[in-house]
Amino acid sequence: MKLTWRIWMLIAFLIFSLISIFSIPPQFLEKGLIVKSVEQNSSVFDLGLRAGMIIQEINGQTIETIEDYSNSMSIFSDLQEHKLDIKTKEVEIINLFSAEIVDQIQLEEIPFTRIQTGLDIRGGARALVGSEEKLTNSEVEDLIAVSQERLNIYGLSDVKLKRVSDLSGNNYMLVEIAGSTPSDLQDLIAKQGKFEAKIGNDTVFRGGDEDITYVARSGQDSGIYDCRQSSEEQWVCLFRFAISLSVDAAENYAQVTKNIPINATNPAYLEKTIDFYLDDIMTDSLLISKDLQGSDVTQHSIQGSGSGTTQKEAYDNAQQDMKKLQTVLITGSLPFKLKIVKTDQISPVLGQGFIRKIFLAGLFALIAVSLVILIRYRSWKISLALLVASISEVVIILGFASLINWNLDLPSIAGIIATIGTGVDHLIVILDESRNTSESIKERIKKALFIVMTAYFTTVVALLPLYWAGAGLLKGFAVTTLIGITTGVLITRPAFADIIKKLSN
Amino acid sequence: MTKTEKLGNWYDKNYKKLLIFPALLLILSLVYLGYFYSQNQDIIHKDVSLTGGTTVTIDSSVSVEDLKLELSKTFEDLVVRAISDNTGQQTRVIITVPEEPDAIVPILEDYLGIKLTEENSSIEFTGSSLSQDFYVQLQIALITAFLLMALVVFLIFSKSFKIKLLVSILTISVLILFVLLKGIYLIIPFIGLLLIFYLYIKYSVPSFAVIVSAFADILMTLALVDLIGLKISTAGIVAFLMLIGYSVDTDILLTTRMLRRKESVRQALFGAFKTGTTMTLTSIFALVAALITVYSVSPILTQIFTILLIGLLFDLFNTWITNASLIKWYVEVKQ
Repeated sequence: MKLTWRIWMLIAFLIFSLISIFSIPPQFLEKGLIVKSVEQNSSVFDLGLRAGMIIQEINGQTIETIEDYSNSMSIFSDLQEHKLDIKTKEVEIINLFSAEIVDQIQLEEIPFTRIQTGLDIRGGARALVGSEEKLTNSEVEDLIAVSQERLNIYGLSDVKLKRVSDLSGNNYMLVEIAGSTPSDLQDLIAKQGKFEAKIGNDTVFRGGDEDITYVARSGQDSGIYDCRQSSEEQWVCLFRFAISLSVDAAENYAQVTKNIPINATNPAYLEKTIDFYLDDIMTDSLLISKDLQGSDVTQHSIQGSGSGTTQKEAYDNAQQDMKKLQTVLITGSLPFKLKIVKTDQISPVLGQGFIRKIFLAGLFALIAVSLVILIRYRSWKISLALLVASISEVVIILGFASLINWNLDLPSIAGIIATIGTGVDHLIVILDESRNTSESIKERIKKALFIVMTAYFTTVVALLPLYWAGAGLLKGFAVTTLIGITTGVLITRPAFADIIKKLSN
Repeated sequence: MTKTEKLGNWYDKNYKKLLIFPALLLILSLVYLGYFYSQNQDIIHKDVSLTGGTTVTIDSSVSVEDLKLELSKTFEDLVVRAISDNTGQQTRVIITVPEEPDAIVPILEDYLGIKLTEENSSIEFTGSSLSQDFYVQLQIALITAFLLMALVVFLIFSKSFKIKLLVSILTISVLILFVLLKGIYLIIPFIGLLLIFYLYIKYSVPSFAVIVSAFADILMTLALVDLIGLKISTAGIVAFLMLIGYSVDTDILLTTRMLRRKESVRQALFGAFKTGTTMTLTSIFALVAALITVYSVSPILTQIFTILLIGLLFDLFNTWITNASLIKWYVEVKQ
């Protein structure tokens, strides 16, 4: 049997789609773990490890599962330095590492296909951030730049930020984090981050690079220096880090402190304290040493504390507060108050087994369709051809989605289902038209394709508005459906018409 | 005379009378929706994604009744429901309140004695102003989708170029006015809408029949969905959009077969009926199969499939009684 060019085109598209889904060589044959993220400026990052690399061996042990990896890294449980020989597919890294490395690298198993799933399936967090007033495009771009910097400084790299807008002209920042979510994400992205150091009612300096030229974040100038038990069930840890003020800010400091009297009860210090405010809430208050009175030195120290019921909890809280404070001191504040208008935290665990169910749903739906077709036409050849055409449409949608790195979320899956539905409808139109014997086969196929095209255009125009409605959160539905029905009417359905022509000859 | 011929003769004699059924059902739906509106100040029961609030999904087999009793002490407007797998075993509870997450999460943690983490729960929150925005936008999307669909049908089945142009311009102006105008001024686009429908009747009865049938599908589905008390989410409104696409497929098939036929009216109608019902039945069977599979895992897909299923059942009715009678009437008058 000679194949027509339409059938060849379908075959070509199918092959491209399969390559796009599985890649060459197939991804599922690859052994190892893929690096999801590496903390920037960590030592292992400096030595060349990057997200996307595939770790295959650590110290001679083959790494195939997350357990293998945690076994290899368990040598750091003594908190000492150890030598590691990390062999990735791309590079080999041999060096001494401290225990910090465990937190700096995040790995995941190599996915079976290149298809990416959306947050609502894979798990993760999403937030839509707006303001009390309408934000302009450039305000949202600024917001994204600051947020990006904050998240980077904070050590979160696997975060997507983008501007979305909706039909009524509102602009939002969409934040998406895959996998596990830090509990203080909301603080980090939705706080305006206005930092002020005040003495009495005078503001001495503010967060941001105008007043603060340098913030120490590692080494001796930054860290937790004391932990103690303050009461039976209460621990407090104190942190401090050094900052450098700009010359103007240092002069300002000298001016303000010049005339403050010495504290009568505690003569080593001044009478007034320096108070730190974060978003207008006082976070800490420090005594000012009398040596610093009227001085325009640029070196200062910021201090603070964290508390908890155990020493570890207090330590972790102090560490977190320090990081947050450092972040706002570096990035400065945003000129507007933010409001989180939507947050979704989807459990990755709840999403497990979901994909399998969806596949089952698709499979059962196709079996149901094939049974109806088999009963109606009493020909297994036709049923099979229809099944093949219908599955091809799904494969092409998935191939296209992985090509453009589209995240398949629930709306996208609903779109694929819609495509299968209309696809089968159109295949039946073609089938019945071609079996009608009152006209020539060419005429009949022409009429069938006319019906299919008309139906196609009505669906396209019905879906277009969805592209913008709802801040783009339902875009997936429109995108997959449009890909599906367009490739459907251009490729699979004409090819199917040819197959039916062949079968009826 | 065979049975089918008898049926055909009976149909030829009575098909106009059959129109009474869809007309009655349409009026009934409209009356019910009017009553529903007077009771609820809206035409649907909106769920939390459209009113604003928090949904917490927890991996737990805790008793729904007890949890509800406990939570109702604090929350007035509360929905607690269980999700079970296919064996009837409860796997999750879903709690919905109009408050923010901070209000409900601590109380749940206290009651269940566990910390809610990403391992055991999902927490979704939508602010009320955003969800109102969503609702308005989705309504606009729905109206736009319907009018554009109607326009495409008109462009394909009507004849005169001038009228096509006029209807296109009118449709687009009406859409723009719908988005721009508010309150009482919305009367202007509504008048435009009536004008468009008048042009449909005057210049292309077949496209008018398609649109009436699609409109009836949506209205009847809406009425039934309200009647069974389904709370509609954003996904549910998307399902109505899908319904527009699905329901016109069979109408277009019917219209094309009737207008471009080489055989008798009866043969054309019967052929279209055979093809069209196969189309809708495959969709219905596929939906039922999918619904059974996803019922226990995804409330969102469950809602989409349920609405589509109801819509397709009404579509069988509206395509083969409403639209078929109208187009047959039109074709016979023309002959």
